[in-house]
Amino acid sequence: MDTPSFLTAQVLVSIAVLVIFVHVILGIVTYSIYLERKISAYIQDRIGPNRVGFDFGLPFLKFLRGCFGLGQPLADGIKFFLKEDYTPDKVDKALFTLAPMTIVVPALIGFAVIPWGGVWHINQFTIPILNWTIAGGDVVIAGANVNVGIIYMLAVASLGVYGVTLGGWASNNKYSFLGGLRSTAQMLAYEIPLGLSLLCVLLVTGTVVPDGIIRYQVEHGWLLFAMPVAATIFFISILAEANRAPFDNAEAEQELVGGYHTEYSSMRFALFFLAEYAHMTTSCAFFALLFLGGYHLPASWIAGPGHVFSPENVTLLGVLAKCGVYLTKVVLLICFMMVIRWTLPRMRFDQVMMMAWQAVIPIALATVVLTSVLVYLDLTDLLPMLAANILLAGFIVGIYPLLPKYNPNRKIPLYGSRFNPVPGERVSTRPTDPMALEDRPIEGTAKPA
Amino acid sequence: MAILAPSMFLADVELSNYLPIVVIVLMAITFGIINVGVSMLLGPRRKGKVKGVTYESGMNPVGTARKRFNVRFYLIAVVFLVFDVEIIFLYPWASTFAHLTPQSEESLLWLGRIMFFLLTTVVAYLYGWRKGVFKFD
Repeated sequence: MDTPSFLTAQVLVSIAVLVIFVHVILGIVTYSIYLERKISAYIQDRIGPNRVGFDFGLPFLKFLRGCFGLGQPLADGIKFFLKEDYTPDKVDKALFTLAPMTIVVPALIGFAVIPWGGVWHINQFTIPILNWTIAGGDVVIAGANVNVGIIYMLAVASLGVYGVTLGGWASNNKYSFLGGLRSTAQMLAYEIPLGLSLLCVLLVTGTVVPDGIIRYQVEHGWLLFAMPVAATIFFISILAEANRAPFDNAEAEQELVGGYHTEYSSMRFALFFLAEYAHMTTSCAFFALLFLGGYHLPASWIAGPGHVFSPENVTLLGVLAKCGVYLTKVVLLICFMMVIRWTLPRMRFDQVMMMAWQAVIPIALATVVLTSVLVYLDLTDLLPMLAANILLAGFIVGIYPLLPKYNPNRKIPLYGSRFNPVPGERVSTRPTDPMALEDRPIEGTAKPA
Repeated sequence: MAILAPSMFLADVELSNYLPIVVIVLMAITFGIINVGVSMLLGPRRKGKVKGVTYESGMNPVGTARKRFNVRFYLIAVVFLVFDVEIIFLYPWASTFAHLTPQSEESLLWLGRIMFFLLTTVVAYLYGWRKGVFKFD
């Protein structure tokens, strides 16, 4: 039988990579919840989960008891399956069930274009029973080697908004609705700086193909050092896109209970969290791809040219080593996000939105203009780019005091209260003072100024 | 293997490479359906009159959540559309601009056009700012 024409080595390898990396991503997701609990515990001087091992209560598995609490994600997962999946009476039942699925699909398909291990040279091989011969060649170790590349990532990232909106709307709960609205507005607002800072990378590298971007960085150095302003904006935007602290307003417990997933329980609730962590993982992978050189490690001065971490190494060993480097970078970035979460206080919603529209977007636009002028002048090397970025950052810091101030926390005067005396009025707050006991200004004490 | 030029990647248009994306979308949808389905099957089911009441911090719920909401969210969505469409137009330009000869006349023309395009957006942005779209208090 003839080999179907669409079945190239690239397609087969891509599907294999997808099947493997879906599990890798889900593994990272479940264990990043454990990691988050551990990191928060150490930040707060606690121990964190340390009881659940893999012994399942069986005497002959006693030696697996404990294990630093590594069994915790497994126990959590089983518990999620076994809890009641309750649908409250007033909800829109179809959308209520659909929302968790809508949010988990974009979270899981986003990583498809990431080139985890660079290029692998595959020899011609034959599929045994069907007797199909597959021609060999160079294949990219990515879920899908498509030429839209990065644009696919942007398209998928935008889809994440729908699940949030649907979840908030379908719950028919005021907390959920407000939380959903907030998240939607925030995710929309931060998608613009995300796209603009990505644009800077595309301008310099001149390609939208992920592997091309990594190869550019192998030649010219990591873009984090060449364009720190764009990298910072991108990182802020992915924090906001994934609804992570300090931008996790949807989950502001004090005001909105759980945000858009207030009414959810059991696995449908878990899917929202899974989507958040999967989104984090994918975003970190894209940050590593765009600014940290992807799978590249500058190790040629140790291991010589053609070492396992360089893109020229197309052996299986090189591919595995590069996958390891890439995943290490992703996990370190996730840890960094977690440290941010447990270090910074949550921003208020109006602060988040004003930061997006009045600070991050103008700076991102300025970065795009700067980068395109630098590309025109052919100054895209590390040092001129870095100098221009530092100049831009200095300009922003310098111009900040000159901008018109707008204070949303201004005190609204409420005349008659002792905290807002009429001009010229005498106010005393001493506990024994009759005026303080009265808790209002005593009439007739106001003197004309 | 020599380092492949980015243009080589761009020339590589093969529709079969999109097949894995179909596969991963199907996998993700199946993942969602199976997870929700299994927890529906395994979990207990107990209905209750008070249990089904909308959660409102333990109070009896007042009215419905399908109410009018702040018009600012609508404005944000409209302004987002303006910016997002603008950015989409910039991508094809960005991925080809680097391939032009730097400091040539053609390159300057491309740069000037896009700067004008950005300027129109900046005008829209300033208009929105003056109108108070970006104010939150």
